[in-house]
Amino acid sequence: MSEFNPTILAFCCNWCSYAGADLAGVSRLQMPPNVHVIRVMCSAAVKPEYVFKALSQGIDGVLVLGCHIGDCHYMTGNHRTAKRFPLAQKILNDVGIDETRLKLDWVSAAEGEKFQQVITEFVGVIKKLGPNPLREVKF
Amino acid sequence: MARIGVFICHCGHNIASVVDVEKVTEFAKTLPGVVFASHNMYSCSEEGLGSIRDSIEENKLDRIVVAACTPRTHEPLFRRNCERAGVNKYLFEFVNIREHCSWIHAKEPEDATRKAMNLVAMGVAKAALLEPQTEGESNVVPVALVIGGGISGLAAASALVSQGIETHLVEKEASLGGILRDIEVIGPEMTESKKLIEELKRSIECSPKAHIHLSSRVTGLTGFIGNFEATISSEKCDEKVKVGAIIVATGGREFIPKGEYGYGSLPGVITQLELEKMLAKKEFPEKTVFIQCVGSRQPGRDFCSRMCCNTSIKNAIRIKEAKPDARVSVLHRDIMSYGTLAERVYMEAAEKGVRFMRYSLERIPMIKKKDSGLSVEVYDETLDEVIQLDADNVVLATPMVPIDDVKDVAMLLKVPVDKYGFFLEAHVKLRPVEFATEGVFICGTARWPSQVSECIAQGLAAAAKASVPIREGKVVIEPITAFSDSEKCIACGNCVIACPYEAIEIVEIDSKKQAKVNEAQCKGCGNCVAACHNDAMQQKGFGTRQLGAMIDALIKNALEVSE
Amino acid sequence: MNELGKKLCDIAFDKQKADYLLAMREESGNVAPVFISKGEDIGEANIDYPYQLVTILSRIYPWLNKGKIAIVARRCDEKALNETIKRGLFDGNRIAVIGLACSKEQIKKCRCNDPVPTKVDIGEPNNGVNTDELMNKLQRISPEERMDFWVRQFKKCNKCFACTTNCPVCFCEDCVLEERTFVAEKGIPPGLSFHMIRTFHLADKCIECGECERSCPVDIPLLTLRKMALKDIKDLYNFKPGDRETASPMLTTLEGELLEDDTHVC
Repeated sequence: MSEFNPTILAFCCNWCSYAGADLAGVSRLQMPPNVHVIRVMCSAAVKPEYVFKALSQGIDGVLVLGCHIGDCHYMTGNHRTAKRFPLAQKILNDVGIDETRLKLDWVSAAEGEKFQQVITEFVGVIKKLGPNPLREVKF
Repeated sequence: MARIGVFICHCGHNIASVVDVEKVTEFAKTLPGVVFASHNMYSCSEEGLGSIRDSIEENKLDRIVVAACTPRTHEPLFRRNCERAGVNKYLFEFVNIREHCSWIHAKEPEDATRKAMNLVAMGVAKAALLEPQTEGESNVVPVALVIGGGISGLAAASALVSQGIETHLVEKEASLGGILRDIEVIGPEMTESKKLIEELKRSIECSPKAHIHLSSRVTGLTGFIGNFEATISSEKCDEKVKVGAIIVATGGREFIPKGEYGYGSLPGVITQLELEKMLAKKEFPEKTVFIQCVGSRQPGRDFCSRMCCNTSIKNAIRIKEAKPDARVSVLHRDIMSYGTLAERVYMEAAEKGVRFMRYSLERIPMIKKKDSGLSVEVYDETLDEVIQLDADNVVLATPMVPIDDVKDVAMLLKVPVDKYGFFLEAHVKLRPVEFATEGVFICGTARWPSQVSECIAQGLAAAAKASVPIREGKVVIEPITAFSDSEKCIACGNCVIACPYEAIEIVEIDSKKQAKVNEAQCKGCGNCVAACHNDAMQQKGFGTRQLGAMIDALIKNALEVSE
Repeated sequence: MNELGKKLCDIAFDKQKADYLLAMREESGNVAPVFISKGEDIGEANIDYPYQLVTILSRIYPWLNKGKIAIVARRCDEKALNETIKRGLFDGNRIAVIGLACSKEQIKKCRCNDPVPTKVDIGEPNNGVNTDELMNKLQRISPEERMDFWVRQFKKCNKCFACTTNCPVCFCEDCVLEERTFVAEKGIPPGLSFHMIRTFHLADKCIECGECERSCPVDIPLLTLRKMALKDIKDLYNFKPGDRETASPMLTTLEGELLEDDTHVC
């Protein structure tokens, strides 16, 4: 059996974490090639519905990355992000999905290294967890 | 059905040396809605753009996907190109396979290619659902704010007021001029700094358009390009001013050695600025040793501050000119005297008898106190010999480092800094004096250690850039605003609570209560979209169906294919 | 009109000066909602069967421009009214509540820990129960077993939307779950996202009436799932839906957040 190569989705806000990801690229910081970024304007525009959709259809992990608290381009956006996703995690746990398959973190536009670190660690966590069991479940 | 064209960029070797662009192109051709796919060397070159336009025409494309670098720098260019080819520019979707793929997976070409294919599939899925948009406009307050009254800020403010633009210049110290107040002449052309500062100051002070705020700081900032409101605080009062554009010229400071080479304990070991003050008082030492790269180009602070070599050469020449018999040595690791003039001055210094010796980081010079003065022991790499030098003064050439409260300023302006604490421009080549945040500009040493001539050039550049929205009088509002589907909306008010800008209200239209977005107030954050339970609230360009389709595409291509 | 019917009409029309009464009655052996104007005959009133009259009220309300409506309400109905009034669906001044205390049997069936209305007009108050056996069991078993359990349950779902249609605090006209934006294309059964999204949407407004579970034709223990999410939001933000004063919708406001620095990641 070949090594498990997880498929991971990341939502990055335009102003901080997407820029941080760009900086990681410009700095040629190497990281595992499992994460696919969707750009949104603000982390608070990420509907938990997307996360539920992705995980229930077999995506192995979802990252939601925003600006640091206090740095939101839209003032209070990420406060709402920080309020929603812990609950989304608990709901995952309620139905038996490992809650660490969803991660919320903050990456600023200047934190290319942090982006690399978050991606590398998350891919490591998901590899350890193994494939999303729902990938095999046929509804 | 959309007719989608996909263009994969090689970016020279940047993408193509890792990602198999031909494979990605062939894959793109199989995606739903794609009627044309090709790859080219540099999509952003005039040739690349032209070929995209030709393909649009030949294949009657109505959705364009470019897989290349980051939308944060190149999206406007490609959007304009679509417009030139007669396609609404919001029917364009950017896929980032450079910063987010080839550059960060350089050693895994196969996986990077697979990822690029997934990303292209996601982009195509979104593109298929894109809708044409029209841009809005908003007025610009014709006033500029320059933060920092050093050489860069003075150059910027002077340029702005000379164009007749009302300008607030905020300086935290009690007088203008910044670091140059402590420097008598500026190398390599030996300009008198006082004269330069006075000239710029006068041009600002005599303008009725200038408001100079000394001993003041910007302590609050709200708003967006065209309509910022800044709070300028001094001991006396807080003043709120409305401005359309902001230039950050907060400068840097000289790094103070933390005990290196006996600084602080050995008398005679001084910094470059301390030497400048001595020379200004016509105190020329008999024996001087400069040590370059103190606190820079070493682990922890690995950048080159660039100005220190020229400064040491300049001061060495000044000492030599005042006292031709004085003994002056410059201990360096590499001399950075780039450009035509500085290199000539470097030669001139050598001709005047300034001795240049190269040391290495592994074997740094040693300083000892003698009965009178200091002795420096240096291993000269070139001669492979240890040399003893006597010195009245050892001058430590330290780098420019960010100001101490740079993080606070960054937080206030919501702009990024790099890992050293210098401000980070939007793009080092394409947008060198702008932040990614529209309407905020950057110049001088706040961005990176710069020579005075570069500070001035950047100040002028920032002023020119800042004057664009002010002169235009209007800025385009990107159509990423939210709107509510009146059929679905049940007026529950979640969006009203979620909006940080009070841009949404519940109104009654055709006897149906529903949410309505005020476009002029909407900043396109999408917070209301996430708060809406029945998907009535949507953001242009980031529709839930569009993002949902991206997720579906990833599932289809990454999961179902591998099964 | 039976004795109970007479009592309900007295309270509604004489005491509370209402113009309408929404209650339940028995007719030809079936118990169903009844809506009468003042002076009409209510018939054989019945309170033995729990039914979401607030859902019925929300269907009738848009057609009644004026007049006060009395509604027979258990504690959960009362809380549903609070959540809906808070969101502006009803004008609180036009609603009068006839408080109904639930029977012991009903409390047991609903695993209800909050069964007594603010004012008891009908019935005898009884203590609530604090445990949901199934929830306890699900919390004890491993996540893998828990997923097995729910996957088995959700595979029965035929997407009939009885749970959403009858829910008193589920008031969108077009439900997002009817579309394919967030649920899999494959149709029926709809998969986990359908149920997780519904759980998330209800987390800050579910009042544990259990109507979803009672309505479910394939007996998915939906009330237990609701209770689990309610425990989550209580644990996170010390929030419990159902009164008219607390911030709402909890997840959209900035109330109760604990953010002072940026360490709050999860």
